Amino acid sequence: MKQVTLLAKVDQDKCIGCKICTKVCPVLSISVVNRKAVVNEDDCRACGNCEQRCPSHAIEMVPREKPLKVYVDVTKFDQGKISEICEKAHFNPEQVLCYCTGVRADEVAAAILDGAKTPEAVSLMTGIRTGCTIECVQPVLRMLEAAGCELKPNEGGWQWYGTTATAWTVPKEVKEKYSTRGFYFEEDRELLDDIAKLNVEEKGGKNRDA
Amino acid sequence: MHKPITPISAKPSQYGINPALVKKRASELPKMCSLNLQDLFPDLPEVIFPAGPNAIDDVRKAAIESLKKVDMSMIKSEDSVNVLASHHGFTLFGGEPYAELLKAIKDVVEEKTGCKEVRLRAGVGMRFRETEEYIKSYGLDTYYHGKAIGLAPVDEGIPIETEIGTLYGLKKIYDADWIIHAHHTDVREVHFHRQVDKAVKPFGMSYARIETRSTYHQNLGPRAANFTARALFESDFVQSKFAFASFLDVGPHGIVGVDSDNDLYALNDRATFIGCQRYGKVMTLFGEIDECIAVLDFPCPVPYVFSAGVIYANFTGANVDLYDLKTPLPSYTWYTEAFYGKNDKPLLGDIPPINPAIKMCVHNYAWTGYPSAFFSKHIPTIVVGQEQANLFDRDSMNLEYMDYAVSIKSLEAAMEFAYQTTGIDKVIIFDGAMGGMNVSETMAELLLEKAPLVSEKVDQELLPKWLKQRGVDVSILDKLKK
Repeated sequence: MKQVTLLAKVDQDKCIGCKICTKVCPVLSISVVNRKAVVNEDDCRACGNCEQRCPSHAIEMVPREKPLKVYVDVTKFDQGKISEICEKAHFNPEQVLCYCTGVRADEVAAAILDGAKTPEAVSLMTGIRTGCTIECVQPVLRMLEAAGCELKPNEGGWQWYGTTATAWTVPKEVKEKYSTRGFYFEEDRELLDDIAKLNVEEKGGKNRDA
Repeated sequence: MHKPITPISAKPSQYGINPALVKKRASELPKMCSLNLQDLFPDLPEVIFPAGPNAIDDVRKAAIESLKKVDMSMIKSEDSVNVLASHHGFTLFGGEPYAELLKAIKDVVEEKTGCKEVRLRAGVGMRFRETEEYIKSYGLDTYYHGKAIGLAPVDEGIPIETEIGTLYGLKKIYDADWIIHAHHTDVREVHFHRQVDKAVKPFGMSYARIETRSTYHQNLGPRAANFTARALFESDFVQSKFAFASFLDVGPHGIVGVDSDNDLYALNDRATFIGCQRYGKVMTLFGEIDECIAVLDFPCPVPYVFSAGVIYANFTGANVDLYDLKTPLPSYTWYTEAFYGKNDKPLLGDIPPINPAIKMCVHNYAWTGYPSAFFSKHIPTIVVGQEQANLFDRDSMNLEYMDYAVSIKSLEAAMEFAYQTTGIDKVIIFDGAMGGMNVSETMAELLLEKAPLVSEKVDQELLPKWLKQRGVDVSILDKLKK
């Protein structure tokens, strides 16, 4: 869930039509028309990437006249299916995936069940990836992949390039090779598994050995 | 106890309030004093900065001397070189020492190799224009003849094949024949890196794309995450470009010297020792604080404000031993935050709470640009000035920060409220005071009493364990004693 209070506004006189804003927008809400950037106001989720990367400082974040609240109501979707997607992606449904907006795994799963098939669509519906726009890209990709969505980066865009290694894909020989340097690969995988498999009814009650 | 140390000045930045709005610093309040870190821990080495009016010249001399010993023969006069920097360096001791190191690297490389295509590439954390601001304020754009740029993790990337599959770096970090890794031994985010491969970390962070950084913070786990940087550094691609590293040798009390090496892992082992020994003592001492009011008063985002080399984020986890790798989750790290359920309680019972010694936080001056609502949600927080509260309300990473904090017009009123509400008078100020720390007199008494025992415990018990957990040769301790 995100309360969207701001909006990107382009100073057409300063805009040089370089298209960088279109490459860094996590929801594809900017296009360049006649060599000038144009913001789709309905879709802008106010992350500020365009404002922060514009080389000519042509974009400003301004207050919206009417703030938007974007969220997906998880109670409206089959909880079994939500759990299934989360488990396949190795997340607990209650796990926070986005540290800026607080979006949890179950809301992302609900967005996918509601028809989102790309990271951009998930972000439009939930607000995830529209805070710092950095740290939650892999969880979103993992959730979509777990739901069977085909991941195809935006041509020419810099929004995201692809999935990367997880605790479950690090090769055994790598773990052995670097076992003395304090990485605790296996122990961390077990911790992530414990979290993912934890029934929310049990939360707060289970202790693990350090 | 000494009179308070003048804190680092408020800085003009798009991520903080106008410095003119910072009416008063916490160190100016009644009953505040300072402690010299070398009084607390006499074994801390002498520093060259801060140390009088010529200190910055001494940093330059140390850099040049160190760089002259490094093999640069791989760099030919017709080659291009990227000097790689990170934003954190500019927050250390006013930022000048790091800027001076970056200038010295350029000069020595040009002198030793005849190379003229030397550029500065400065990565960031989450504030995408932060190093642009530093490049201008320290004159690095002029010094590098216009070839100095700030880079953000959303900028164009390149795939890099590693032992754990494809990771992604920033294209402009690697668009030269050679790269020079310019960093420092300051510990900063011990809650994240746990002093494992800290010297290598920028390859997986400030030099990396969002996919890589998300791998670190979401995919591998709180300790295994640190392999991300090593995977990138070990790759054939990065190895084919790596020339050498040059680090400010930093302690919590100042700049000790400059350490340059063609072998980053050798430098990493030395940095691990420094991080565990010098900073580990301060961190362990902070764990002895039983109750306090924490004041944020430094030009950095909430978690990064400093006291005696320890950032606020680490103080919120000082109730557990952050260096002990047997403990998987600190009280605060992003994996910990992720594992809080909808009832705002940890999903697992053995996740440690936020440092219960912090009874209240007075946010006099700190920046936006880092998701900080977790702190205001779990620690009673007072923000000084409505302008600062409004700034947080406009930050896409902090839309909820003020949902859990209150604002008060002045620092004096905020402190009075904190004293009355908590009933305690022990105050620790995170204001970046150089060489020491600003605290209340009552806090000073506590720290002076605890420091000798902490020092002994770290030397005798904790440090050997910490180094062993990281695969660092513990005989380094014996060598240092000789």
